[in-house]
Amino acid sequence: MTLVATAEDMQRIASPLARAATAIRRNPTIFIGSVLLAALVALTLAAPWVAGDPFRQAPVNRLRPPSEPFWFGTDQFGRDVFSRTVYGARVSLIVGFAVAALSSLIGLAVGLVCGYFKRIDAVIMRAMDGIMAIPSILLAIALITLTRPGLGIVIAAIVIPEVPRVVRVVRSVVLSIRAQPYVESAIAGGTRNAKLLVRHILPNTLAPLIVQATYVCASAMLIEAGLSFLGAGVPPEIPSWGNIIAQGRTFFQIAPWSIFIPGAFLAVTVLAVNMLGDGLRDRLDPRLARRL
Amino acid sequence: MTLLQVRDLKTHFFTADGIVRAVDGISFDLAAGETLGIVGESGCGKSVTALSILRLIAPETGRIVGGSIMLDGQELTTLPIEAMRAVRGRRIAMIFQEPMTSLNPVLTVGTQIAESVQRHLGLSRRAAWDRAHEMLELVRIADARRRLSEYPHQLSGGMRQRVMIAIALCCDPQVLIADEPTTALDVTIQAQILDLMLELKEKLGSAIILITHDLGVVAETCERVLVMYAGRMVEQATAGELFGRPLHPYTRGLLRALPRADDEVGVAGIRPKLAEIPGIVPALNRPIVGCAFAPRCRYVVDLCRTTAPALTAANGPHPVACWEAQRVAEEAA
Repeated sequence: MTLVATAEDMQRIASPLARAATAIRRNPTIFIGSVLLAALVALTLAAPWVAGDPFRQAPVNRLRPPSEPFWFGTDQFGRDVFSRTVYGARVSLIVGFAVAALSSLIGLAVGLVCGYFKRIDAVIMRAMDGIMAIPSILLAIALITLTRPGLGIVIAAIVIPEVPRVVRVVRSVVLSIRAQPYVESAIAGGTRNAKLLVRHILPNTLAPLIVQATYVCASAMLIEAGLSFLGAGVPPEIPSWGNIIAQGRTFFQIAPWSIFIPGAFLAVTVLAVNMLGDGLRDRLDPRLARRL
Repeated sequence: MTLLQVRDLKTHFFTADGIVRAVDGISFDLAAGETLGIVGESGCGKSVTALSILRLIAPETGRIVGGSIMLDGQELTTLPIEAMRAVRGRRIAMIFQEPMTSLNPVLTVGTQIAESVQRHLGLSRRAAWDRAHEMLELVRIADARRRLSEYPHQLSGGMRQRVMIAIALCCDPQVLIADEPTTALDVTIQAQILDLMLELKEKLGSAIILITHDLGVVAETCERVLVMYAGRMVEQATAGELFGRPLHPYTRGLLRALPRADDEVGVAGIRPKLAEIPGIVPALNRPIVGCAFAPRCRYVVDLCRTTAPALTAANGPHPVACWEAQRVAEEAA
């Protein structure tokens, strides 16, 4: 590498396209992850136009292998697996994003308070340990027996055990930031607790929080599929990947596509979210980011 | 007129290894506009004294167990925390040792100065920003307008310490506590920062408590000096007195350990070896019987090992805590 900037270098810096190319070369995981995820989101949004009716049963077309009108084959009721998979992506994405957003928000608030106010830290953290010990599948089954199954219940059942994981991350960051000289310096300047938390500590927790949120999102998608597969998730009439797999299970030997295809979508989606998370972790790490 | 009066201040830390008596009976007065140096080696309680004055000792680890701190007639040790917050940064400001980490990396320089101004002087955002600009010019940062919207990592160490000084002085504090303000800076910048602090002190009329282990810095800047050892005071004098006629064996040891430009250069350009004080600082988690310096002292007598000497002017021209001060002074003369 040369330290003298040539005209070519200057041009490369100036062109946004070239800058994007450099960013992709430096951190391909973010790129691949976000492109896959964006494609899935686009597909979900465009579902009414690209996919047929996911509920229409056609006994004539039962258990068709992937072929011309039914790209991904049909299930035992003659329903189009492609349409069902595309609509099923909605459930996964909604659950993934909602769980990530909710558990991040709650976890951030609790984590900030825990890390900053040492007096209540021990109490809240023990409560968090307790919550973390609840398996989300059992919690979901319990919640559904108490109420009626639905997307909201599934989200709640996953959020509750995920919150402590976020709290731990945020709390550990707060503990380390609290010990920074600039925090002491702000206290020495007479800054109030609320301001100290929001202005000086909160911004430093955001990078690790975003990374943690992507992992929560990926794990929520997997748990949702597991819950649906077990019949403890979204109601069976809603096409979600877990439901499609559960319903295709009995015909696995003669129509494996109705399991493999939603399964592959689930795997790729979770992989995309995890890749995005790993890429963001590398990118947002202040030590690495400074190289820019 | 006495602005800050500290009497018999004791700050102890409660650890698994016992009670650490980090500050064990410190008293001093600070007049308006005066510069007081507190010197001593690492771990002697200088910084804890400073933190105690602002009540910044983390309550989980330690607390002020005795003594009084009066600022302008107001007792600080018993002040409610909200009132104490109004003192911090407004009436007593502090500059820390580490300019590289004492500024928040995610906020601009201007925001960090303006924040303090808004908080303490109740100015509007606009006016606070103007005040921040004014302060940056006062601490002689070139191109202040642009620097205001820069982040700490864009500034050099010396500039960051100037920003710290700007933050500390932006609300016209009566007392400025500078805890090793130049230790992390290189020598050429050190002098600039010290000059700047003294010049601003004259301009704004703040009193300064300068905490340092560097006697050279003290000689250059302080009017009065307090020497600390193992959490206690050993000697208090004007800078001239202290350097001219040190009475405590510890102070003498410190002064002898300073390199001097007029030391004779021997064969092959080697200067004489610097003097050192034998032994180590006593552990502070056990009660110290007698004089804390006794185990390392050349002048030690039996009395030193049993009874701690009080800081008194009885044995010499200025207050010293030593039974044998007379003998030390005579020997020096």
